[in-house]
Amino acid sequence: MIFVTVGSMMAFDRLIVSMDKWALVHPGSDVLAQIGAGTYRPIHMRWTRMLPPSTFQEAVRKSAIIVAHAGMGSYFVAAEMGKPVVMLPRLAANREHTTDHQLHTIKWLRDRPGVYAAMSDAELDFAIDRAMTGGGIAGADFTNFAPEPFLRRVRDFLVN
Amino acid sequence: MRRLQPAFDGLQVAFVSVQSAYAEEVAGHRFYVVRDVTRWDRIGLAILVVQLTLILLRERPHVVVTTGSAPGMIALALAKCLLRSKTMWIDSIANCEQLSLSGMRAKRFCDVWLTQWPHLQRTGGPDWWGAVL
Repeated sequence: MIFVTVGSMMAFDRLIVSMDKWALVHPGSDVLAQIGAGTYRPIHMRWTRMLPPSTFQEAVRKSAIIVAHAGMGSYFVAAEMGKPVVMLPRLAANREHTTDHQLHTIKWLRDRPGVYAAMSDAELDFAIDRAMTGGGIAGADFTNFAPEPFLRRVRDFLVN
Repeated sequence: MRRLQPAFDGLQVAFVSVQSAYAEEVAGHRFYVVRDVTRWDRIGLAILVVQLTLILLRERPHVVVTTGSAPGMIALALAKCLLRSKTMWIDSIANCEQLSLSGMRAKRFCDVWLTQWPHLQRTGGPDWWGAVL
């Protein structure tokens, strides 16, 4: 299965439309999309508005790859489960987000193992192919919590 | 915030989110949902301020920690002005080229004002203590 997610409720129809087209030309594939508040309703893939975290994680676990917006939440979930993640940044010019910070995020995330950047919808196809063969981050290389020194400083602030 | 969970171990914590589905991630803690707003949405903003004020008056937190964005910044400002809570802003690791707009605005309401990128720290803030990754 391929799991597509726009992250939060904020619409990202460009990703959903592109992936619906992808599903059309790959009829054998099983694709599930979390479309948030998007107005485009997919025809060629299964879709849902918003999954609760447990169901969301279940979908990620069952997936071969994740296709997502370039949000940190999507990266963390994929990395924690060792799944390859294709990321398409939201653009402020399209009102897909308030700023272009996802463009900044993808510039450093793209060098991390398991991340496959698609800088535009035209690059999605190729990024998906690379993700299918390239694999995810190795499970042991990724921890679920922030590094200990950072946690300790935050803790000190909380209790003192 | 999920990646900071060990720092909250054993403390009495109430969570506020714009997403009701996240309640199950912090089962066993008090959990509130507020309206999600962007700076494009004036009416939403007014509703959010009322929601946050009610939560703060009820919880009276000693410390407020947020990773943003606009709703987090407003919560921090209200907590500082209404309750004199200790406040901490942790700018999202997503903001690697500049601090977020809400992060810039949060400065005057923060006791600790953090970026997660060492090259963005400045004398006078934001400070850098590390990152969630």
